[in-house]
Order: sequence, then structure tokens, then C-alpha cells
Amino acid sequence: MNDMAFGHTKVHGKHGDFAIEAKGLVKRFKSGKSWVEVLKGVDFDAKHGDLTMVMGPSGSGKSTLIAALSGLLRPEEGRVDALDVDDLWKYSSGRIDKFRLDNCGFIFQGFNLFPALTALQQVETVLKFQGLSSGQAKTRATTALEEVGLGHRLHQRPAALSGGEKQRVAIARALAKDPKILFADEPTSALDGENGQVVIKLLRRAATEHGAAVICVTHDPRLEAWADRVIHIEDGKILDDQRRIPDPNAILASH
Amino acid sequence: MSLALSTLLFEWRRYMAAVMALALSGLLVLAMTGVFIGIGKGFTATIERSGADIFILQPGAKSLINGPSGVPRRFIPLAYNHPEVIEVMPLDGAGGTFQNIKDVDPTKSQADNASQGAPRQKFVQASIIDTRPGSVTIPTDYSQELVDALRQPYTVAVDETALSTLGVKLGDKALYNGQTVTIVGVTRGYPNMMQPGVVMSRDTLRMLGQADTGPRVGPLMVKLRDPARAPIVVAQLNEMGSGQWKAWTKQQLAEANAGAMFEEGILVIIIGGCVVLGIIIGVAITWQTLRGAIMANIKEFASLRALGVGMGSLRRIVVELSFWVGVVGVFAAIFLTWLVSLLAMAGAVIIALPFSLLLVVGIGLILISMVSGLLSLGILKNSQPADLLR
Repeated sequence: MNDMAFGHTKVHGKHGDFAIEAKGLVKRFKSGKSWVEVLKGVDFDAKHGDLTMVMGPSGSGKSTLIAALSGLLRPEEGRVDALDVDDLWKYSSGRIDKFRLDNCGFIFQGFNLFPALTALQQVETVLKFQGLSSGQAKTRATTALEEVGLGHRLHQRPAALSGGEKQRVAIARALAKDPKILFADEPTSALDGENGQVVIKLLRRAATEHGAAVICVTHDPRLEAWADRVIHIEDGKILDDQRRIPDPNAILASH
Repeated sequence: MSLALSTLLFEWRRYMAAVMALALSGLLVLAMTGVFIGIGKGFTATIERSGADIFILQPGAKSLINGPSGVPRRFIPLAYNHPEVIEVMPLDGAGGTFQNIKDVDPTKSQADNASQGAPRQKFVQASIIDTRPGSVTIPTDYSQELVDALRQPYTVAVDETALSTLGVKLGDKALYNGQTVTIVGVTRGYPNMMQPGVVMSRDTLRMLGQADTGPRVGPLMVKLRDPARAPIVVAQLNEMGSGQWKAWTKQQLAEANAGAMFEEGILVIIIGGCVVLGIIIGVAITWQTLRGAIMANIKEFASLRALGVGMGSLRRIVVELSFWVGVVGVFAAIFLTWLVSLLAMAGAVIIALPFSLLLVVGIGLILISMVSGLLSLGILKNSQPADLLR
């Protein structure tokens, strides 16, 4: 499957097409007087329909990798080709923002929901920034929230939601945009086993049913069962890259 | 509802400091300005609440208070030439020395009599009404009983707030310019914090020797058949006068009177000082409050940035937020000022709040708030989505 590779990525990729490719990513941070190289020439790619899991201990550079892939943190060296964009980092920051608005979803470990907004409004807000009318935004947001099983919690504010429900709102917020690339950073680590399972299944579904390239960073080895591909990263280098057959019915044991 | 407005309503406690800062800045300016306008109102209340629809003044007059306001007596019949005019009476009034009379009992000891205190002498402003029923010079809130009582010669009415200043009560006799007058009425709602006033009939003023009886009279008070047509009739009267006079509607004159206080240099300095202080306090506190409030939501803003919402859109959210904070601040300022004006009214101090003043101060407060919002924009730089990836 990998042999079709290394041309530029395509628009509206089908399952198996490359959504994102990065070459030779190098990122350094200043630490005191010296520089620490967090990414040491990482090559990375991810395909539509795949749940690609990036695993590694803390400080291995996995979060920095997705920050560089998604246009949030400029790498010192290397290039990122995403969808139909050749070398994302040549774009102005405004155009990178626009690229993310049109194509990317994000899920974080913290849920980062506005305390003042109801679940429905959280999702609508982002859709309105995409240029949807209020009516369209409401319909899409409702559908997205129903899809994550929160159809009965549309008008609750974060304070009234459990941790798992908050993360599902955050997922709905990311999925409502119908993203072609979905980044998730430790999406389950603030959740118990049961809620973690709900979340990883939603990510699995985003890949399988929506054809998104889901790139999930985690240090939780139990999530591997759902992945199409597991990449281990340590000390800023990719150690190994395995394809596997995901088990959509795997059980995430309770903590 | 927008993100900014929802946030303000939901987290109102967080924004309370900014709203209060704006409200107090507004109160400072509104109350100071209102007091000065109120001082002017104290002198012109009897006239502004009269039944007159139109006033005729000298062409050069800028208000009732400043500038030449009297006109030749022959203008009275000229004004009647307009078919819609039903009554024309000249405004009159004077200033005099008012003194209460102590009840000295010759059978009491000198010490007992002295303990009542010395008679009190005050300079008062005398306003007049015509006591004919329905006359143009009678304030519309005067009762028929009051007008009837003032019809008696040598009678005066005093506002309730001036009773203690003048040392008299209803039914007392007192001296006005050395002549005995009787207090037959007490008015309510005509306080004057600078100088107490008395109201008497035009006939009493004449008997006291102070009425205009010569060829010149005060400004003319004109009553129309249909008060709603005042702006049209004013234009027609001005045309008829061909520059000899200038007609004003009651509203125009009231506004000019309110503005007249601000021709005094010292008032401009005092109010200017309040405005500058208000702006500094308002901007400083609102700015810091907004910064804190944005910082509290910085992770949420960063997550929007991650989802591709541009910096420009976040800036617009902050500016919109500061606009709404300003709007709430305006209402809080007006409410506070209203409370203070009630309190002041209890102490016979008028805080006049004309709509134009509220409008100017309101716009000013919203501007202060939005400037504070613009100053807080820098804090958005901290919304780095990469920081969320930890």
C-alpha cells in the first residue's frame, strides 16, 4: 500500500491516500543556554481513513510533532505537505489558520470549552467562523452532538457535564467541521476507562466512516488495539512504524 | 447570542469591576454636570414649567440667563398678530431682601426673646405669575388653591426646601424689601440651592414697586391654541418679526438655559477635570479587568486558534466584549446617577439629567470601554495553541 507513496497529497483523499506528509522535521527549543533538539529529522505520513497512533514517553517529541504537522509550531527544518498544500510552512500564518479552519480538527487533553456556552453553542461557534449561517450551523452542530451521543445534553454548559461528556463535546466541535485531518493529543488521559473507550471509538469512527486522517498522540498502550498504524517515537526520532489490523470492538479496561 | 455576550452574561462577576469602574466614571461626570445644570434649572423652573409654548427674546439672546433677553412692550400686540397665539404675557421678576419676623413677646425676659435667635435676612429671587385662571405664566403643576391664594395682595409662596433657609412656615408674615408679606403657599419641586426663591402675583410685585411698568418688558411668554404646532409657529413668528426678535420653543430655550451654565469658565474646568479623571479611572480599571478576564479564558481562545479561527476573529470577540461591557456600564452609570439624584433631591439639590447629556456620557463610556478592549488585545498573543499540546 505504501508504494503509491511520495507524490504530493491529493484533495479530498479516499481511504488509503496520503493526507499529510512531512520530511526531515527538525525542531529545537532553547533550554537555558543550550539548545535541545526535540525533533531530529522526523519523516512522517498519515493516510485518509487511518487511525495513526503516535506513541512515546513524555518528552519524546510527539506533541511537538503534531504541532509542527498542523501548522501550530514552525519547525526549524523540513517540510510539511498536507492535502493539496505543498509545503504548509511557506504559507503566511493567516493562510495556515485558514487551512486549519477548512481542514483540521483538534482534540486536546484538556477540553478547553468556553464556560459560558452550552454544548450546542460550543460547536456552533466554530462552524459560524467557517462561514455557515446560524441555521446551518445549528443543524450541523446538533447532528455532530447526536453522533457523539450527546443529543440529550445540547443545552448544558460545561459545568453541568462530566469529563467524558466534555471531551465528547470537544470531539463534536472538531468533527462538526468534517475535517480531513483530525489531530488528537492525549484525548483519553483525563478520562476513566469507560469514557476513554467512548472517545477512542469516536476517533476510530471518524477515520473509518468519515475518511479522516486521524493522528492521535498518546502514551496509553491500551489504545493501540484500535489503531491502523502505530508509530513509536523517542528522543525526537521514530523508532518503529507498524501497520496492524485494528479491532473496533476492543475493550479498554477500567483504570 | 454571540460568544462575547454569552460570556459577559455568564461570567458577569468577572466583569463587575469594569462595569463598576465605568459606572462610577459616568456617575462622576453625570452628577457634576447634572448639579451645574440643576443650579440653572433652579432659577428657571417656574418659567420652564409654565404654560408657555413659545418665548420671544431679543435677537442676540443666547438663553434666558445670558444675554439681552427683554423686549419693547410694543412687541406684545405684534405677537398677537399671529392667528394661533391666544395669550402673550411678559416675564417679570425681581430680587429682594427677605426677612422673617420673630414673635417678640414683651412680657418675656430679654434672654427668652433672644433665645429665638436673630431675624434671618436673605436675598431672594422673586418670580411672578398672573393669577387669572389658565394664564400662560402659571406653572402647569400649580394647584388652583395656590393660584387663588396668591391672588390676594401681598402674598407669596415659598418652596418647601426654602422654608428653613428663610426661617418661615406657612401662614407666617415676613418682610420683603421692608414691606410685610404673608406666606400663603408652599410649593414642592422648586428647589434652588444657590438662592431661595419666592413666587408672587404680578400685581403684588407691582404693589411692591418692582414690576416692569415702562416701555421695556421681560421676554414674552406665548401660549398657542395647539401646542404641538410650536415649531411651525416659531418659524412663522421669526419671519413676522423680520429680525426684531427671536422666538424659541420652550424646549429650545430649556436646552439653551442648561447650556448657559457652561459659559462659566470655572465650571468648564471643574467638569473637564471630572471628565479627565473619569477617563483615566475608567480606562485603567476596565483595561485591567478585561485583560484578566481574557487571560482566564485564554485556553479556550487557544483551542479556537487551533481549530483555525484567526487572530482577527479573536480580536473582534474581544472588541465586541468590551462594547457590551460599555453598554452595561452605561446602564449602571445612569441607574447609579438616578439613585444619587433622588438622594440629592431629598436635600434640595437638583441633578438635572437631560437626554443629550446622557447620550454624550453614554457614548463616552462605550468609547472608554472599547479603548480598554483595544488595549487588552495584546494579551491574545498568549493564546498559543501549541501550549495546549503538553
